[in-house]
Amino acid sequence: MSHLSSKHLLGIKDLTKEDIHLIFETADNFKDVINRPIKKVPSLRDITIANVFFENSTRTKLSFELAEKRLSADVINFSSSGSSVKKGETLLDTVNNILAMKVDMIVMRHSSPGAPHFLANHISANIVNAGDGTHEHPTQALLDAYSMRERVGDLEGKNVAIIGDIIHSRVALSNIFALQKLGANVMICGPATLIPKYLSSFGVKIVSDVREALAWCDIANVLRIQLERQQIKYFPSLREYSLYFGVNKQLLDSLNKEIVIMHPGPINRGVELTSDVADSHHSIILDQVENGVAVRMAVLYLLAGTVG
Amino acid sequence: MSLFIREVKVLDPQSPHHLKRVNVLIKEGVITSIDNKEHQADTTIEAKGQFLTPGLFDLKANFCDPGFEHREDIYSGCQLAAASGYTGVATLPNTAPVVQAKSHIEYLKSKSRDCLTDIYPMAAVTIDALGEDLTEMIDLHEAGAIAFTDGNQPMWHTDIMLKSLIYLQKFDGLLINLPEDKLLTRFGTMNEGIVSTGLGLKGMPALAEHLMIKRDLDILAYSGGRLHFSNISSAESVKLIKKAKKNGLKITCDVSIHHLLHTDQAIVGYDANYKINPPLRENRDRKALLKGLKDGTIDAIVSAHSPQDEESKKLEFDRAEDGILGLQTMIPSLLSLDEELDPSEWIDKITSRPRAILKLAPVTIAESEKANVTLIDPKKKWKYDQKSNLSKSVNSPYYGKELTGQVSATLNGEKIYQTPS
Repeated sequence: MSHLSSKHLLGIKDLTKEDIHLIFETADNFKDVINRPIKKVPSLRDITIANVFFENSTRTKLSFELAEKRLSADVINFSSSGSSVKKGETLLDTVNNILAMKVDMIVMRHSSPGAPHFLANHISANIVNAGDGTHEHPTQALLDAYSMRERVGDLEGKNVAIIGDIIHSRVALSNIFALQKLGANVMICGPATLIPKYLSSFGVKIVSDVREALAWCDIANVLRIQLERQQIKYFPSLREYSLYFGVNKQLLDSLNKEIVIMHPGPINRGVELTSDVADSHHSIILDQVENGVAVRMAVLYLLAGTVG
Repeated sequence: MSLFIREVKVLDPQSPHHLKRVNVLIKEGVITSIDNKEHQADTTIEAKGQFLTPGLFDLKANFCDPGFEHREDIYSGCQLAAASGYTGVATLPNTAPVVQAKSHIEYLKSKSRDCLTDIYPMAAVTIDALGEDLTEMIDLHEAGAIAFTDGNQPMWHTDIMLKSLIYLQKFDGLLINLPEDKLLTRFGTMNEGIVSTGLGLKGMPALAEHLMIKRDLDILAYSGGRLHFSNISSAESVKLIKKAKKNGLKITCDVSIHHLLHTDQAIVGYDANYKINPPLRENRDRKALLKGLKDGTIDAIVSAHSPQDEESKKLEFDRAEDGILGLQTMIPSLLSLDEELDPSEWIDKITSRPRAILKLAPVTIAESEKANVTLIDPKKKWKYDQKSNLSKSVNSPYYGKELTGQVSATLNGEKIYQTPS
C-alpha cells in the first residue's frame, strides 16, 4: 500500500501534489465499491476510529461515519456543542480519555483554528481534521477537487471562482491550497468585508463583481454565508447580499458558456444560491456529497497504513 | 562586608569607566574604588570576560500578587528579578484586586521590603482598569504609586484619557497607556497579516495601535502632561512617536524584548507560548523597532513578564491567555541580538532610561556611589529548566532550552544575589 507523506491529515497545506493524486486514485476504487450492491470492504477491520465533534455538523459527520463503516472500522462518536472547556475539561483531557479506550484514529471538528495541530503535538494517534474553525477543512477541499476533476477532467489551467463568505470559511483556504497544487487558477469574489485583507498574497485574483467572476470561471464554488460564525456585522442585510453577490439563473443564462456550480452545503437557498441554480444541470452539489464518502474512505484507508 | 570584583568590563555610558576593564571594590554596599589595583576583601569574584552594569530596571512586569499567587507572587517575583539582574521593577496593577487603593500599594511595599529588588508599584488609572472611573490618584501617589496605568488594558475612553492627563499634572504624574483600539482587535488572537490569514486565526491589525497613538498624541498636545506608550510593536508606531518627539511633545515609549526577537512567523505551529498582546508582528516591524531603539525614539526595553499557569496556556491557540515570562531570559535574549543590537545600545534601555522616565535617582558605576550593579557573564551557557527557573510559571518558548549569557551577581546596597554555579 502506498502512503501519504504525513501520518495526519491536518490541512491541505501540508500535502504534496502526489498525496492528492494518491488520494484521488484510491477514492476512484472506493467509489466503485460504494456503488456495488455490497458496499463494504474489510480494509479497516480492527481499527477503531473516534469522531470527535466539538462543533455541530450533520453532513461531514455522517459522511465520515459512513466512510468508516464502509471500511469495516469500529466507530465511536463524541459530540459536544460549544467547548469542552466550559464543562471544565480541556481538549487534551477529552481526547486522552477517548484514546485511553484504545482508539487508533481521531477525526475531529473544532471551532479553534489549529486545534488538530495542537493535538498532534501532544498525542500519538492519527488525526484527521474535519474542520478547524476558520482555518482548513481538508477533506472538503479534496472532495471538491475530486468532483471537479470528475466533471471537467484535469484541473491544470482550469479557472475556479470561490464566491461568498471567505473570511468565516474553512473551505476557502483548503480549496485554494488544493486547487493551486493541482494547477488551477483561483479567483475570489464576495463583499470586501468578507474577504481577508491579505488573501491576495496567496496568488489568487480578487474581484467584487459576481458577474465578472462567473464570466471568468469554468467552475464556481459558491460558499455558504456563515451567519452563525459572524460575531459582528459584516454586511447590511441578506437581501442586499443576495441581490449583489447571489448566484441566480438569470446570471448564468447571461453567460455565453456553461459553468459548473458547486456548494459545500448546507445551502441558504435564496441567499447565496437560488433554487433554480442549485437544482439545475449546472449543479454537482449532490455528486460532491457522494464523492465525500469515497474521498474520506481513501483518506482513512491511506492514514490507517501508518497506525501503530 | 566587602566584595572585590576583579578584571570586569564596565558597561555604563554614564560612567567615566565605560568600556574599561577595572577592579571594583565594594564595602558596606558602597563602591569605594574603581582602579587597576589589588584590594583585600571578604569575597573576590574573578570577572574576566564579564560585564558590570548598573542594576537593571524593568518598566513592565506582572507579579500576579494578590489574586494569582499560583502564577507568581511578590517573593518569587523579587527572587526571580534579583537573579535576572534587576534591582528595580515597576509592577503592573493588573492583579485581583487591581492596584487602586493606598492599602494595595502599602501591601506591595511592605511585602517586598526585605527583597534585594526594589518594587515600585504602578496603580490603575481607572477602577478595576475598566477605563471608566478614575481612581484616587493623588492619594495613590502619596502612598507611593510610581506611575499610573491600566496595564494590559488600554485607556479606550477618550474623555477619561484626557481627564487623566490633566488630573495627573498636580504632581507631574506619569500616565502609561497601552495603545490599542479594542474595537479593531475584537476576537483577534495574533497580528493581522499573511501569516494569520494562512493560519485561519483572526487578526489584530497594527492599525489598532497607530490609531490609539495618534489619538493620544493629539490629546496630549491639547492637555499637556506626561505620557508613556507601553509596549509599542509596529513600524508605523515608531514613525509616529519619532515625529511627535521631534515636535517637542513630552512622550516616551518602550518595547518588549519579545517584539525584538520574534515575528508572527513564530505562531505557525500554533504554539500558545508566543501568544502575547500586542501581538508579534512582521519582520519589517521588528527591524523598525530595533532602529527606533538605536535612534532614541524608543526609550526602554521591557520584559513584559507575564506569568500564566499551564491550564491557561496548554490550550487551543485562540483559547490560551496572553503572556510570556520575560525577566530571567532578558540578558540571554538581548545578547542573542548581537548582530543587530550592541550591548552599548541596549544597556541604557534597561537601566538609566526607565529610571529617568519614572524620575528615579540615576544609578551609575562610580566611586562613592551606592552599589546598585549587575554582573553579567555573556558567554555562560545554562539550561533554562525546572532547576534554574525561578518563576512559579513556565510559559516561555525558551523553557527547556540552552541559553547563552547569564547574570552572575546582582547587588543593591548591602544586599547581594549570586547565581549558583
